[in-house]
Amino acid sequence: MHALIQAIILGILTGGVYALMASGQTLIFGIMKIVNLAQGALVVLGAYLTYTLFTTFGLDPFLSIVITTPLLFLVGVVVQRVLIRPLRGSDVAELSLLVTFAVALAIEGALSFAYGSTLTNVQPAYANSSWTVLGFQVSVVRFVAFVLSLVLLAALYFILQRTKFGRSVRATVQNPASAELLGVNASRVSAIGFGLGAATAAAAGSVFGMLNAFNPGSHYDLISRLLTVVVLGGLGSIGGSVIAALVMGVASSIVSAEAAPIWGDFTFFVVLLLVLLLRPRGLFGARVRGAL
Amino acid sequence: MQLRFGRGRRARFGAAAAITIGALALSACSSGGGGGGGSSSGTKTPLKIGISLSLTGDFSDSGKAAQRGYELWQSVANKAGGVLGRKVQLSIVDDASNPDQVVTNYTNLITQQKVDLVFGPYSSLLTVPASRVASRYHYSFIEPAGGGPSVFAQKLTNLFFVQPAATTKGGDVFANYILSLPASQRPKTAAYAKLDDPFSAPIADNIRKRFEAAGIKTVYDQTYPSETADMTPIISGIAAKNPDVVVGGSQEGDAFAQIKAMIQLKFDPKYLFESNGANSPGDFPAAVGLPNTNGVFSSADWYADSTIAGSKQFIADYIAKYGGTANKIDPTSAEAYSAGMLLQEVAKKTGKVDNATIISTLHSGTWPTLVGNLKWNQYGEPQGDYVLVQWIDGKLQTVFPANGAQHTPLAPKPAWAG
Repeated sequence: MHALIQAIILGILTGGVYALMASGQTLIFGIMKIVNLAQGALVVLGAYLTYTLFTTFGLDPFLSIVITTPLLFLVGVVVQRVLIRPLRGSDVAELSLLVTFAVALAIEGALSFAYGSTLTNVQPAYANSSWTVLGFQVSVVRFVAFVLSLVLLAALYFILQRTKFGRSVRATVQNPASAELLGVNASRVSAIGFGLGAATAAAAGSVFGMLNAFNPGSHYDLISRLLTVVVLGGLGSIGGSVIAALVMGVASSIVSAEAAPIWGDFTFFVVLLLVLLLRPRGLFGARVRGAL
Repeated sequence: MQLRFGRGRRARFGAAAAITIGALALSACSSGGGGGGGSSSGTKTPLKIGISLSLTGDFSDSGKAAQRGYELWQSVANKAGGVLGRKVQLSIVDDASNPDQVVTNYTNLITQQKVDLVFGPYSSLLTVPASRVASRYHYSFIEPAGGGPSVFAQKLTNLFFVQPAATTKGGDVFANYILSLPASQRPKTAAYAKLDDPFSAPIADNIRKRFEAAGIKTVYDQTYPSETADMTPIISGIAAKNPDVVVGGSQEGDAFAQIKAMIQLKFDPKYLFESNGANSPGDFPAAVGLPNTNGVFSSADWYADSTIAGSKQFIADYIAKYGGTANKIDPTSAEAYSAGMLLQEVAKKTGKVDNATIISTLHSGTWPTLVGNLKWNQYGEPQGDYVLVQWIDGKLQTVFPANGAQHTPLAPKPAWAG
């Protein structure tokens, strides 16, 4: 029983970080209806930026988020403006898959060139610390990362629900043509949306670099996880992706600890397949356009 | 002892562009010295040695480490007058970590560039196809980085693996040590966490078989897939069983993750062995924090504080040529360097360096290298043992066997520093 509860605690804390990564992914899909295959690479880029800031300037990895998120926001805006906006025609979704995959490969190549392919991680003094709470171990980094993810998700929610930009985003998601007729600058919304998605990747990357060893090729595993989280949650639903990330974290953790690690990730795919069979639009995916 | 196989092979297509450009550039650079042949002794033509290495792609870091080792040996040998008076000329081409490219490269080196000899590439994945090409043309195949079961299963008689034992036997020395303890001090229970790849899991399985035969009870034995980023759930499963000894059949990143998880879960086994990762003098303390290394066991062939003859000179030459510090030298460089040392030994003993002489000569006797005194069975599998190393007082030290040990083993393992 003790091991089970410990596994659930671990799963929830880990799921929180994936929720942050996946929220950016699903936001981009919600606004532009494109699947961003570069999201994992952006997370790894964020992790490397954090690594450099930490090893070169001694900047705390959590504090480095203040620098990495605006930087990757800009990267996201530039990618959208330069590479995605020019896409035209009925096959934009398919073309954007190729373009974002190319962005992922470019980031991987640049990082390999700059850092080599050896695994590395960000190792502040408190990286291995944990609190003992009622006999259970709670990792300091995981806990702070989880809380940070909640704060950032709340900020994202606030932006979408309470600001003029958020209303523009939601209008664009619901009906792009009508939104444009009402004066929403869809192009601008898309650019900022892509930037926001990249910014969440940066924040998640800072944390990811402390939790896991990574190298430039780490994004392949990440993107496959993120895509399954986003599909399980329902493409375009931020709340759905948060729930799905927690389901993934807890399911993998329990199966790894209590049964066999080899089935840990597989369990999640079983859940995904079952959900897609019974509810093809995912847990919280909208039947019609408009949920975010 | 680097044992990578195909981990992260999905990353391969990530480097597609770089591979093509790199391969073209390198083949252009290396195509200059063709022709000439000149394997006849006495003419003092250069001794041309062809090598394919992973200078790009998944194995590029290790491939470049092997390149540094080969090139350092070349410059040291040439400074001393070459091999039998012939200057050593290396022809190194890039295989982009690709098993198809490695076949093309060795075929070209042998049939087009007509090199006198070939040395091996990096990883078992590439050594298997490369050694078949060498065998077809009756070339000897001294190779420093292909020690997986698939290499020896080919039953090639031209192959010699330049490490102390097959890589799956990397943990045998830990079993030897534990079973050498008096029964009262031996651990009673053991847990095994194994990476699912052809090198790592068999290392732990070999230890488990010997422990079980000696009455050490297995309380946890699980394999995890290579994409497992977070080891905490696995370690929490092990911690629940509270074993005396934990054996990690690991590569590098997962070994670091296992130990980080143990620290976070405040789980302290009495004995902890990681087959890889913990034997990296530079990366391991950087990944888990130096104070947390204390008492962790691993096995190694060469490392910076190795007491093997010639090691200090190798380090001095290496730093003079490439800079850096001793702890940053990848063992792969020492293994590649040792391939060259073997060739020089054969030349010294026989006065010849043709392929048939190398093959027949290396099949008997014991041969000193930076990775120990080597001898092989008929299929090139080394018949020695790795040494048991342990982190003590912030340094990686040889602790077993007693002959050649720098320190007595530290047991039980001190608690994590946190």
